[in-house]
Amino acid sequence: MKKFLKTLIPTELAKGLLLTGKWFCQVMFSPNRGKSKLHIVDEYPEVPAKVQPRFRGRLQLLKDAQDEIICVCCMACIKACPTNAISLVAGKKEGRKTRIPESYDFELERCIFCGFCVESCTFNAIALNHQFELAVYNREDMAIGLGGVFQSIDKPSPVGKFSYSGKE
Amino acid sequence: MFKTQVMEINMGPQHPSTHGVLRLKLGLDGENVKSCYPIIGYLHRGVEKICENKAFFQGQVWTDRMDYCSAVSNNLGWAEALEKLFGIRVPRRARYLRTMLNELNRLNSHLVWLGTHAMDIGALSVFLYTWRDREKILDVFEAFCGSRLTTTAMRIGGLQEDVPEGFEKMVRDAFESVRIGIQEYETLLSENRIWLKRTVGIAKLSADDCLAYGVTGPILRAAGVAYDIRKAHPYAAYDEMKFEIPTRTEADTYARYLVRLEEMRQSIHIVEQCLEGLPEGPVMAKIPKTLKSEVGEVYHPTEAPKGEIGFYVVSEKGGVNPYRFHIRTPGFLNVQAIPLMLQDALVADVVTAVGTLDVVLGEIDR
Repeated sequence: MKKFLKTLIPTELAKGLLLTGKWFCQVMFSPNRGKSKLHIVDEYPEVPAKVQPRFRGRLQLLKDAQDEIICVCCMACIKACPTNAISLVAGKKEGRKTRIPESYDFELERCIFCGFCVESCTFNAIALNHQFELAVYNREDMAIGLGGVFQSIDKPSPVGKFSYSGKE
Repeated sequence: MFKTQVMEINMGPQHPSTHGVLRLKLGLDGENVKSCYPIIGYLHRGVEKICENKAFFQGQVWTDRMDYCSAVSNNLGWAEALEKLFGIRVPRRARYLRTMLNELNRLNSHLVWLGTHAMDIGALSVFLYTWRDREKILDVFEAFCGSRLTTTAMRIGGLQEDVPEGFEKMVRDAFESVRIGIQEYETLLSENRIWLKRTVGIAKLSADDCLAYGVTGPILRAAGVAYDIRKAHPYAAYDEMKFEIPTRTEADTYARYLVRLEEMRQSIHIVEQCLEGLPEGPVMAKIPKTLKSEVGEVYHPTEAPKGEIGFYVVSEKGGVNPYRFHIRTPGFLNVQAIPLMLQDALVADVVTAVGTLDVVLGEIDR
């Protein structure tokens, strides 16, 4: 008899419905619900997304206080890169003891954001910045470099509007 | 007058409930499955061969991309195998942190499994709740490793960086959510009559069959065999942790669900032990800048969320990359048991059988 009543009255289904209903009402009728703790979804395109400090985004060549590229072309990043995304040509500049990259090409198509290049760099000359909106309109723009035909390594992507450019 | 014949139907490789590109060749007699033949290889990228052609430390990025739901576990297995090969001792703090990350990853993987499995069977709302909790764990990964899915968490000899600021609070906040979450999944599923009808007694795989087919992980434990590599061959800091191996004897889908839920609770327990007893010290052993191997071969099994993942590495003298690199992934062997699970089953149970194995085609085809 008890078993028959149990099959007739779906109490456990009601419990589940109660749970989902509770969450729905809590979020729906909480005042100022966009800022409530229960509201777990980010309003991403309207509100800029935040990433953690260690986030690995796009590769960037860093500059020192005199606005000069720190890189001395030791080629460590090229050796460390698992997907051969980086290539550079070393050059010289007047009044600088160390070498300076003539061109530093970085293929965004191939990069897998592992961060091995940054770890291998003993001069802290490169960093993976916090930029994550990396879409571009043309495939050619995926090649990133110091200038010329390439998309500039310092500027954010032409499509990205919200992510953070520059280190930290 | 009427003639019946077995109809062959392909389920997949693009079917949403096969979790990727698994193709099942089903022989159907009406609603009854007469034969089932899993065909794999649609996601083959040649990970093993790529790893043989790259330097030792570079191989890690491909282990990330094998099982993308449990990247940290793959990284851990990879790192420990190579440390065994080179004879490197990892600092105690690093071992604790590795254990912690690995267990967080187990939680993450089981949450993904529960959400998608329940959604396959028809309980959509569970998916939303598991994703809510998983998000917090992924935030922890992002804070620690810098990436959410392809973590690249380990290094040969330890970890790249120590814990970030406010890490403990972040983990405890995530657990607060997951603890409530597990109760909610139980409310939604454990007694739900639709869930019981779809899981109890479905896709059975006995302990003997599991052992014969090399099936490991929660599926083996749900069949009553208490085999867990964390206890059987302790690695990282598992020999210092207190935890239980949940087992069931029913060997059906429902038993696997209960085993995995209990494993999630145990994972929380292990991470809390790690947080409390975290020793001080360095997180990286002193290792030479370029690793050169001697002649040797090594196999190292670890317990990934889906079962035993083992890395087999053969090296030659003075080599900067492995001579042979083989990965024993749990899903590859688990998926071979699908025909056994589907004897005298209905078409609707095929989805349950695939879901309960927790297949990720990235690691099966690799």
